[in-house]
Amino acid sequence: MVSAMETAVNPSVRSAVRKYFKNIYQLFYSILEGMAVTFSYLFRRPITIQYPYKLDKPMDEIIPDRFRGILGVDLRYCIACRLCQTTCPIACIAIDLERNPETKERFITRFDIDISKCMFCGLCVEVCSTGTLHHSKIFDGTSRHVENLVLEFVNTPVRPFIKPKSIEDIPVDRSGAITRNKLKDFFDLPKFRLTDEA
Amino acid sequence: MKNPAKVNEAIRHLKPQAAPFEEEMSLNFGPQHPSTHGVLNFLVVTDGEVMHQALPNIGYLHRGIEKLAEMTPYSGFMPYTDRVDYLAAMFANQVFAMAVESLAEIEVPKRAEYLRVIVCELNRIASHFIATGALALDLGAVTPFVQWLREREFINDIMEALCGARLTYNYMRIGGVSVDMPGDLPDKILRFLDHFEPIIDEYNRLISNNEIFVKRLADVAVISPIDAVNFGLVGPNLRASGIGIDLRKTLGYSVYPDFDFEVPLGKGFRGALGDAYDRYMVRILEMTQSCRIIRQALEKIPGGEYRANVKKKLKVEENEVYSRVESARGEMGVYLISDGTDRPYRLKIKTGSFTAMSIVEKASQGLMVADLIALIGSLDVVAPEVDR
Ligand code: SF4
Ligand code: SF4
Repeated sequence: MVSAMETAVNPSVRSAVRKYFKNIYQLFYSILEGMAVTFSYLFRRPITIQYPYKLDKPMDEIIPDRFRGILGVDLRYCIACRLCQTTCPIACIAIDLERNPETKERFITRFDIDISKCMFCGLCVEVCSTGTLHHSKIFDGTSRHVENLVLEFVNTPVRPFIKPKSIEDIPVDRSGAITRNKLKDFFDLPKFRLTDEA
Repeated sequence: MKNPAKVNEAIRHLKPQAAPFEEEMSLNFGPQHPSTHGVLNFLVVTDGEVMHQALPNIGYLHRGIEKLAEMTPYSGFMPYTDRVDYLAAMFANQVFAMAVESLAEIEVPKRAEYLRVIVCELNRIASHFIATGALALDLGAVTPFVQWLREREFINDIMEALCGARLTYNYMRIGGVSVDMPGDLPDKILRFLDHFEPIIDEYNRLISNNEIFVKRLADVAVISPIDAVNFGLVGPNLRASGIGIDLRKTLGYSVYPDFDFEVPLGKGFRGALGDAYDRYMVRILEMTQSCRIIRQALEKIPGGEYRANVKKKLKVEENEVYSRVESARGEMGVYLISDGTDRPYRLKIKTGSFTAMSIVEKASQGLMVADLIALIGSLDVVAPEVDR
């Protein structure tokens, strides 16, 4: 190439050669520039966190309050209006009410949420007037059986809550304890179990 | 179309003037190929390294969202729109909300419109992160993609603090937005913008100006302005060919006329007008403009209501409407027919990726097989948006 540069009389050849070397120069320059950017990251603080081993704060504080996690129901305050059931676009919520034929009292006998279907859209939470239905901050877990994903919130039939006019803030337990309790099968799975001994 | 004889016949039909190729080979590219951005299938007809044609074969991600709309009440369909385009869910939210609002004649409060603009522009940036980063990744540069993913995490965190979800936001409602922004969010967004704007330059140094990258994209898969219009390209793909149609300007929907911003056009930055590099560069430039819009919106945002009073069981008179927004992938439209009940009679979603797929057949003629990746990547095709 160098000899071609010396002997060439044709200016177009010369410019072609010049372009050739300019290309090589640009190539190396731009690669080095990119490398410099990459290199500078050696001296910056990493932003990754080593979940779940090294957290500087507990997970509940890292996750914002509005996080839409697995649903929870604080049945003490459910007025059994069933709005959540009718709002859910994919019918994950099943509520059964039964009336005692003698005392004419109503009882919630079933409040199931199928979280295997739920898409955590939050429409049901939005319509619940008492805040009974809420998103917990729980987002992780596994289950070996899809049936475990139907959370049954009613153990013994409960009376619907009568909302007193005076109460402004209903002290709903949003800590996630209720959901975590229902998700026992989720989390109590022995780790590293290879075969299912069901 | 798996039978080569049939394929040959199909191609002769498409290209009657082309000479029959003796050594032709047809290959399946995808549907599980990592660089097809989802499940897309191309039937690549090649002669050695040179492609004679790549025929897109879509439908692998069809979920029947339009049909689902007919069975869901208006308000309940909002979470489904998130799934139309998972990289830019806000736009689908917005276009559906706008369609129903104009049918039911609901006035949206000003604050809600501003909130919508802010989240949409943030979402546009996040979507362009993936578009430009994944393009680099497909061409073999992993660092830029990871770097953009890191930046995108900040936007995801902002969205999470705002509406509780990181991707499937379901943030907008008919008549406004679901929640007002928390008090510290404007600060958070501004802090992100201050941090992010210098990063664009750094990113350009890292990859946009890299000669190898430029050589892979410049003069590759050139789409002329006439072709771009004829094939119905929209959004950044159209603007890269030098045609300045941006619905935010030309239609001026929502509160976009309040803002001062430019629409970047392709002008042959490193090669011909409308090549893959132009399409890439237009997206990078758009990010800066989005930052400008967000800053202005945060400054001007008025107080007041964030959600109009809309009946829970919304029933809409018999009517029809077509509403459209400029999404990250171009014009996204919803054609909605109502019949007086609480659910749509018919809903049709028009997306940018679908029309972008139509030009693959033409633009891929004579390309190298490896450049097909550059073509698809630069068109920013998102598979669920193609199929719906
Ligand atoms: S979050 Fe959405 S999908 Fe899940 S139960 Fe509530 S309404 Fe249904
Ligand atoms: S959880 Fe809320 S919305 Fe659902 S029935 Fe109870 S009170 Fe009504």
